[in-house]
Parts: sequence; structure tokens; C-alpha cells
Amino acid sequence: MKFFLSFLLLLAITFASQAQSKLTIRGTVKDTTNLPLDYTSVLLLSPKDSALVAYTLTNKAGEYQFKNVDRQPLLIKATYMGYLPVQKELVLPETDVLEVDEIYLEPILQELYEVVVKAAKAPLMMRGDTLEYDASKFKVPPGATLEDLLRKLPGMQIDANGNIVAQGQQVQKVTVDGRRFFGGNTKMATQNLNAESISKLQLFDDKSEQSKLTGVEDGVKEKTLNVELKEEAKKGGFGKISAAGGTDERWTANGSFNKFDDVNQFSVIGYGNNVNQSGLSWDDLQEFRGSNAFQFGDTGDFGFNGSGGMNYISFSGGDNEESFEIPFNNLNSGFSNNQAIGVNYNYLKGKKDFSTNYFYSRSDQILESVNSRTNFLQDNTSFTSTDQSVQNNVAGHHRANLRFQNELDSANTITINAKGRLSTLSTLLLSHQELIDSSMEQSQMDRNNQSDKWSGAFQGTAIYRHKFKKNGRNFAASISDTWSKADQDGTQKAIADMMDSTDPNSYFQSLDQVIEALNGSNLIKSSLLYVEPIKKVFFWETFYNFSQSTSETNRQVYDVERSDIRELNPDLSRFFDNKITYNRFGTSFRYANKGSNLSVGLAASDYRLNGQFSVIEGSEILGRVDKNYFNFTPNVSYWKTMKGNKRINASYAMGVTPPSIADLQPYKDISNPLYIREGNPDLEPQVSHSFNTGYNMYDPATFINLQFSFNATFYQNQVVQNQTIDPETLVTTYKAGNVSGGQRYYPYVGFGFPIVKTKANAYLSANPSYSKSFSLINSIETETHTYSHNFGGNLDLTPLEWLSLYAGGSYRLSKTNYEQNPSQNQDIINWTVYSNINIKFPKDFYLDVKFNHNRYKNESFGFDQKVPILNASVYKLLGEAKKWEIRLSANDIFNKNQTISQYAGQNYVSTGRIETLARYFLLGLTYNMRGIEVKNRR
Amino acid sequence: MKSILKTIALILITTGLRAQNIVGEVEYRYKIFYDKIYSSLPHLTQQEKDRILLSWGNPEGYSTRMKLQFWPEKSLYTYGAPYEVRSYSWQVEDYFIENNLEEQTYLKYMDQMGKTYIVRDSLAAPKWRVMNEIRDILGHMCMKAVSEDSIKGQKITAWFASDIPVPVGPEEQFGLPGLILAYDINDGMLVVEAEKITFGEPAEIIALPKKLKGREVSGTEYQDLVQDFIQTSIESKRAWVWGLRY
Repeated sequence: MKFFLSFLLLLAITFASQAQSKLTIRGTVKDTTNLPLDYTSVLLLSPKDSALVAYTLTNKAGEYQFKNVDRQPLLIKATYMGYLPVQKELVLPETDVLEVDEIYLEPILQELYEVVVKAAKAPLMMRGDTLEYDASKFKVPPGATLEDLLRKLPGMQIDANGNIVAQGQQVQKVTVDGRRFFGGNTKMATQNLNAESISKLQLFDDKSEQSKLTGVEDGVKEKTLNVELKEEAKKGGFGKISAAGGTDERWTANGSFNKFDDVNQFSVIGYGNNVNQSGLSWDDLQEFRGSNAFQFGDTGDFGFNGSGGMNYISFSGGDNEESFEIPFNNLNSGFSNNQAIGVNYNYLKGKKDFSTNYFYSRSDQILESVNSRTNFLQDNTSFTSTDQSVQNNVAGHHRANLRFQNELDSANTITINAKGRLSTLSTLLLSHQELIDSSMEQSQMDRNNQSDKWSGAFQGTAIYRHKFKKNGRNFAASISDTWSKADQDGTQKAIADMMDSTDPNSYFQSLDQVIEALNGSNLIKSSLLYVEPIKKVFFWETFYNFSQSTSETNRQVYDVERSDIRELNPDLSRFFDNKITYNRFGTSFRYANKGSNLSVGLAASDYRLNGQFSVIEGSEILGRVDKNYFNFTPNVSYWKTMKGNKRINASYAMGVTPPSIADLQPYKDISNPLYIREGNPDLEPQVSHSFNTGYNMYDPATFINLQFSFNATFYQNQVVQNQTIDPETLVTTYKAGNVSGGQRYYPYVGFGFPIVKTKANAYLSANPSYSKSFSLINSIETETHTYSHNFGGNLDLTPLEWLSLYAGGSYRLSKTNYEQNPSQNQDIINWTVYSNINIKFPKDFYLDVKFNHNRYKNESFGFDQKVPILNASVYKLLGEAKKWEIRLSANDIFNKNQTISQYAGQNYVSTGRIETLARYFLLGLTYNMRGIEVKNRR
Repeated sequence: MKSILKTIALILITTGLRAQNIVGEVEYRYKIFYDKIYSSLPHLTQQEKDRILLSWGNPEGYSTRMKLQFWPEKSLYTYGAPYEVRSYSWQVEDYFIENNLEEQTYLKYMDQMGKTYIVRDSLAAPKWRVMNEIRDILGHMCMKAVSEDSIKGQKITAWFASDIPVPVGPEEQFGLPGLILAYDINDGMLVVEAEKITFGEPAEIIALPKKLKGREVSGTEYQDLVQDFIQTSIESKRAWVWGLRY
């Protein structure tokens, strides 16, 4: 020790030796009892910005010395553990040596250091003679007053009269953010201010009011307590409202409002329009759900899956009747009138996380469509049926979601999810069907179907996760129940061509029926997972899955004999009672180290299918299913992340899908007389072998990215629908069967690169695919090959701040080749070209033009449909804060919009066309509390 | 400034006294708040910022354990043991910083901006301003010092313990009259704070890979690359934090 200190003295600080105008500064640091303080840091700072100039340590005698210091204004500062740092300005001498007066360090009040600095972890700030610290670091119960807080602070007392005594002196006045509080009544302040809203307390000696008024220093100091209130920065709200009207009575309106603080998030949203928008936009959905927008891992399914590869989470959008999710990004076909309203509330406090929302949406849709389907027969002939229909669907959905997550402690977490849905759907269908066949005369049928349906569903899920003390050892358990019920009443009327109406073999048949259907189902699921780490990089994972679904289908069909007489049709009425029980137990070993991940696993799965059916509930059992399928399914997956954002992966998975009970029932379903379905009790489960491999890279410096993947699936006992077509009646009978040899190959390659960095980017992709499928058509095995050639390219141009241009195109050729019937081979082509230009003009004027061109082609039918859609809008932001926007938009300027579909199946080709909302113009106004968002860049 | 560091190093090395305070290992919690960083991007509108904070705000941040070993003549810094042992592994990036106080040089071996860089140059401490504020970290009284990184647009607030007179710290921070036990960037976008200090020779000394593979650049060349990367990211309206350590 002695040696060290003397050494330090000897050595001192050796600066570069241009000694002329350089200074030597030395002095001593002592405590208030005049004892020298060794090992104290002494700093030289520049007074104008506190910049560090030099520093050293004191020796045992408390001495320090700086040599060769540049001549400049200086502050000296000494700091020692447990003492208040002292700082003073140096007066530079004429000579080269400055002997600094002794510096005395004052110990920090023990209580202050222990309570404030150590226990409450509040930084202590010195401002002249004021000591300031962050009072919000002190824990007080909710609702506590400033007085309660003061009682906790060291050096502060509240006397019996409620007066504040600080460091032995009575506090004369309390100021809030520097302003006098209620005429200096300290009690008023201490008893009324909420402790939780206080951020800082400052205690200092202020000039007396008298001297402040007169400007004459009277030497009287008043002990003053200043209270700084918290800036409630996180509290906020935003909202927007927008309305537009236009030609053909087109209109759209929407509005949303959010209010939030640290703990609460509240939002409401609503929309109405007759321009086919029947869902929220992605951004609106995020804002609406707030902290609840992204919740993963809430399904509670554990263990590897049968399709191989990773579990991806995708956000696809749309509005699905069966779904509990809020519809988004949904553009209807046809013509529709849509409304929705929703309310969301999230509560986030500490480790508790609660969210709930309710959303009601309604859509009234009219679909006018023309569909055509050509069926090929084995003798190289074909017949075509066309269907011209008008459909009106009125659907309303009430959806409610509730989620609660509580991290009980660092080891245990509980997540509870409850979802409910109540839907009504009424449909009206008017259709005119025609049959064109070379060997038969043309026949036709008019249908009129109506139905009303309500359905409800509820899902509850609870997940418990536990982390053991041993790092990496985890346990999780989940249980869920999904219950649903649907009640449908409907009428079906069909009047077939008069000539053939009495012929029982005619393609079209007249009917007049009433249908009552009541379906119910319940699904119970439970999963367990246990992970045991072995030597940090090896893991042993064990899981168990159980599920049992029971379903009841009660469909009663009545023939209407006369207006008041209905008779049960025993051929069409059915009562099904089914139960599927699934058990899977699996285990896998994982290796995870330095970006490499290998998992090898095996599971044993067991499916038990039980079912029975009768004409109506309680009547004679007509057939039973009692099947049990047991399989071992292996699973191997590997992925590796490498330096430079590169990743490779490869996997193999075996999947087992049991046949559906409907396919197993020994029963003929003739509810659609043209397409009869027949069960096959001998079906085996379908087994798939999936191989996936891929590579991707992204270079953040050059923006080059490359993606490659290749997926292949081979099927064993693939469940296919074998068909028998009666050449006389043209009625098709489907019967499920097993066939092996089906294959599917799906490569993908994508490459993105900048042409001019930050100004022009391109992305090219290709995904050709091939699939081979088999089925029996009229007892002949047919083999169908489908080749799909898919190429795409995108170009993003953002050359200037005020201009952006996006363009791209894709080409898809689907070749369907029929091995046994090559003359019917189909080539279906889809071309898509799009471009989007956004220009910002001076004075906050914007122009946005979108052009989409779709072309659908099938040469063998001479089908060639082009759908060019041009949309354009000009808008201007108004007001200083740009909170207002006025917009004129033109949709489908060419008036060409329609929805086209094309499909080639195993022995048929279909095309469809839906008349869809075409040209309209809108003029609208938007107000956004936070300023209008201009989306001129993607 | 450089010579101060060198002298302090010399003093401490040559004496070797008080060794219990000048040799040791610190574990830091590197806690980054991507939501705050993301919502501060200049091209976002107020509404987008609110949306980010509302829908994927994470008040807890994302934590990584880092490790610093220090001697009077040098410091070594890299990843510490992960907080949670997971049955999958993502991390392959290297991040080593070696400061040599004797020779006044540094070596950084790190994966940044999609590449592996080996950066060697002489130490140049940032301009620190020492403030009048103290705080306790793990029983050490720390003083506040602030500096700025104009390239990254960062306001740095550091807390150094003058009773551990080794002028080093976590990440790229150093050059204060004491070990930096905590620092934060832009009022909480990144918070790095010591969780554990063990004095004395560390049981296992951080070892750089035997063979360093990567692009050799000087400190100034690397700064130019960083500046260019940040500039390009801003122009492309991307967040540079995904490619570059904050």
C-alpha cells in the first residue's frame, strides 16, 4: 500500500512535455474531521460543459497532483465512496504551479445514502446546495398522499400538527413545479397531492417572499420544498373519422378512437359502406386490438406437426363464418352493403395482462354469377352444365374475445382465452341451370332455395407454463373446449324442364322440400409438454396430445305434397352421431448449439372413430362405423442459422390423416341428385411423407436477398373421390377410396436486389410446381399431371422524395394433362400486371394511381377474359397540422370489374364469373386527430 | 485523454496493489427496447409511432447477458451465459471487444451489417462530461457522465464507479475515471447495467477464436461503413438497429 501510494506520487501524471505554459496543479483532499482521504478520484473539468480534462487518484496523505495541464478555465472535482462529491472553480495563478486549497468532503448523511441511494436506488443530484432525488422510486401504497411519501423520506418528519420538518427546520412553503401551492399552505399540499403523481422532490433555501418582492436581500432564507409532477407522457389518444359519397349512391364511412395510458388501452371502431369493404384494414385492426394485436402460442398444441418444417404464423385476412377472428382485409365480390362496430379494452399492469373485445359485423351481399362446368366422359365425349344464378346473403356476426395472462412469478404463467361467436345467415338463391350434351336434347331447371341459419360457438383455452429451477427444464399443460351449434331451416324448390319432368332418369328433377337441420359438436383437447435439458446443448422433449370430438348432425327433409302437407323423406333425412378420439404420445431429442438445431423424434398416434346413423334420432340404426388406426410417425428436422443472416433447413415428417366419418359411413347421400356420395367402410388413413428443404439469406448492407425452398410430398393410401358417371342420366356417384402414388413437388426461388441503392429495387420469383394424382373414373384408373409455371417480378422505384412507383407482373400457366385422355388436356393461363404511382405535388396535393390488368385464358374453350382496372385518387391535406384530408377518388375508370375463376379437376373444367361492383366515384373528407397519414411508400 | 488512460494503466499495473479492485469480471444486462427505437424513426407519422407502441410495445425490453473482464492493462468483453436455456439456438454472431490500455489499442471482432469485421485501431475515448449526480450500483457509488455519438444519433448517459479505477466499460464505452457499471442510450432505448461484480482473476478468461476470419478494417474505415449503413437505412426508411448493434 505504502509502496503504491508513493509510487503514484512519484509517477504522477506524465503529459507530453511542452512545459512552457503548462500548469501543475496539486492539493489535498480531506474529510470534515480533517483526516486525509486516500484513493479519492480527483477530476479536472472544463467549466463550460463539464468536459473531462484529466483525472488522478490521491495518495495516502490525500494528496494529488496534475502535471502539464493546459492553461484553460478549470473545475476541480473530488469524489469518494460515501461522500458528497465536491466541485469548485480554480483560479489560475500567474505562475506554473497552482496549490489548490484543501478540499473537504462531507459524508453523505448515512440515512440518505442507505435509504435513498441504496435501498430506493434513486440517483442523488447535487444542484448547488440543493439535493434532489427521484421520489417516484419510493414505494407507496396506491392512493397515498404526499404526506405519506414524505414520512418515508430520510431527513423529513411530519410533526403532530402536520407541519413538515426537514433537516430539523420547518418547511415554510411548498411549491409545485416551482409555483406556490395554495398560498403557501403546506398542509393543504401534503394532504391533497397524490404521491403516485410525483416525480421529484427538491429541498432548498429560498429567498423570503419579502426579499423577492422588494428585490432587497434581507438574508432570511425560507426552507422550501418543491414538488415536480410526473409528465404523463404516455397518456394519449388518437382517432380519425372519414366519410365519402359518390355516384350511383355509393358511400363509405369509418371512424375510430383510441385512448390509452400506461395501464389501460381503450378503443372503438366502426365502419359502413356499400363499396364491398367488409373488414378492417390491417393497420386499423392493430390499432383496435392494441397490445393484444399479436398473441402467439395461444393454441396450446404441443409437439411436432405432421406436415414438416416450421410452424409459421400467417395473417391471411378475410371473413370466415366459422372463425372467431375479427375480419380484416376483405373485399367482397358482387355488390354488398357492410357495417361493423367494435370495442376493445386492454388492461396491462405488472405481470397481469387482460384484453377483451367485442365486434359486430354485418354484410348484405348480392352475387350474380355465371358458372360453367364441362365434365369429360370416358368415350371422349363431354357434357356441359351452366348455371346462372342470383344469390342474396345476409350475414351478421357477433364476436367476443377475452384473454387473460398472469405471470404468477418468474416460474409460473397462466394464459386463459375465451372466444364466442353468434352468427345469423340467411340466403336466397335463384338459379337457372342448363345442360348441353351432344347425345341429348338440351334440358333446364329453375331453382329457388331459401334458408335461415343461426349458429353459435364458444371456445375456452387454458394454458399453464412452468419453468423449473434447473434452467431449460420446462413443463406446459393446456386444456381447451370448443362447442358449436347450428340451426338451419330452409326450403328447396326446383322446376325442371317440362318435357323430362316425369322421367326419373332425367338430369334435372323437380322438387319441393323443406329442410330442417340441427348440428352440434364439441371438441375437447388437452396437451402436455415436458422439456429436460441435458448438458446445455441437448434436450429431451416429451409430449402427449389428446382430443375428442363428438358431433351430432340432424337433418330432416320433408317433401311438400300440398301447401299444408309435409312428409318426411326417409332417403334424404339423416341423423348422425359421431365421435373421434385421438391420442398421441411422442418424444424427440434435440441438439441446439451455435445456431445449429437438429431434432429427431417419434410419436405413436391412435385414432378411434365411432359413428352411427339413422333416419331420425332414435329410429333404427342403419349403419355403424367403429374404426381404430394406430401408427408410428417419425419426424426429423434440421436448421442452421449462419453468419451473415443465412439460414438453411431440411426436414422430414410423416403425417397421418384418418378418413372422415362421412367417407366411412356405409350410406348413399342423395341429397344432391346429380352428385351422389357413397361411403366406404374399408378406407385406410392417408399417410403423407413430406420433405422440405430451404435456404435464405439477407444482406442488410447491400439489401440483396435470396430465398430458395423445395418441398416434396408423397402419398400412401391417399383418400380420393372415385367417380362413376352414368352415361344415361349423367349422374355422378362419388365414392371415397385409397390410392398410393400421388406426389407433389413445390420449388420456390426468389431473388431481391437493389438496382440503385435506396432508389430502385427489384424482386424476381419463380415457383414451378408439379403434382400427380390418381383416381378411379368409371372403374378406370386415371392419372392426372398438373404442371404450374409461375413467374413474377416486382420493381419498386423511389427516385425522389415526392415520387414513388411500384410495378410488377406475374404469369401463371397451369397445364393439366390427362394420361388416359390426352385430347382433353387443359392449358389455363393467368396474367397479372400491376402498377401504382404516387406523386406528392406542392401545397400538400397528392395523386395516387393504381392500374391492375388481369387476363384469364383457356384456349381449348376459346375463353379469353381481360379485366383492366384503373383506380385513381387525388387528395389534399388541409390545415396547419394537416389533420384534414379531402379526397376525390375514381374506382374502376374503365368499368370492367368482375370476378373470374378457372379450375381444371380430374375430369372436369370449370369457369366462373361474378358481376362485381364496377365504376364509381367518391368525394370524401377525413379528419385525423394525429394528422393524416400519407402512405406514399410501402 | 489518451495519455491519462495510459498513465492510469501504468500506475495500476506497476503497483499491482489493491488488486482486489482492479481485476475482476462484471456481468451486465443488455436490455434493448426495440419498440422505443422503432417508434423514434424519423419517417414515421405520429399515428404509426402510437400504433407501434400500442400493439407491440414491450415494457420489459429484450435482455441479453454480457460479460466484461478487466485488468489494469486490458479489458475483454463478449456475450455471457444466456438467461434462459432454450431448446433452440439462433445466435451465431460473434461480438468481442478487447481494449489494450498498455498499448492504447483495441480489437473488435464482430458480426455487423451482415459481415464479420476485425477492427483494430488506437483507443480514442469519447468526450465525456461529468455531471453532479450520484447513484448506487451493486454497492458502488457511481457518478454520472454523459457523451454523444453523432453518427448513431445517441445520447449516452453512463455511471462510473470511481472506487474501481479501471477506465473501461461495457460495449464500446470507456475512458472514465472508473469502471462504467451502467449506461443508457436516449433515455431508455438501450439500458446496460451491471448485475454482478466478481473481483479477482476471472475463473475462465474470455478467449477470442483462434483464427479470426473477417474483413480487417481500421477504426476510421469502420466508422465510415457505419455512417454509410445508417445513411442508407434512413434513406430506405428502414431501421438500422436490425443490422448494427445499437
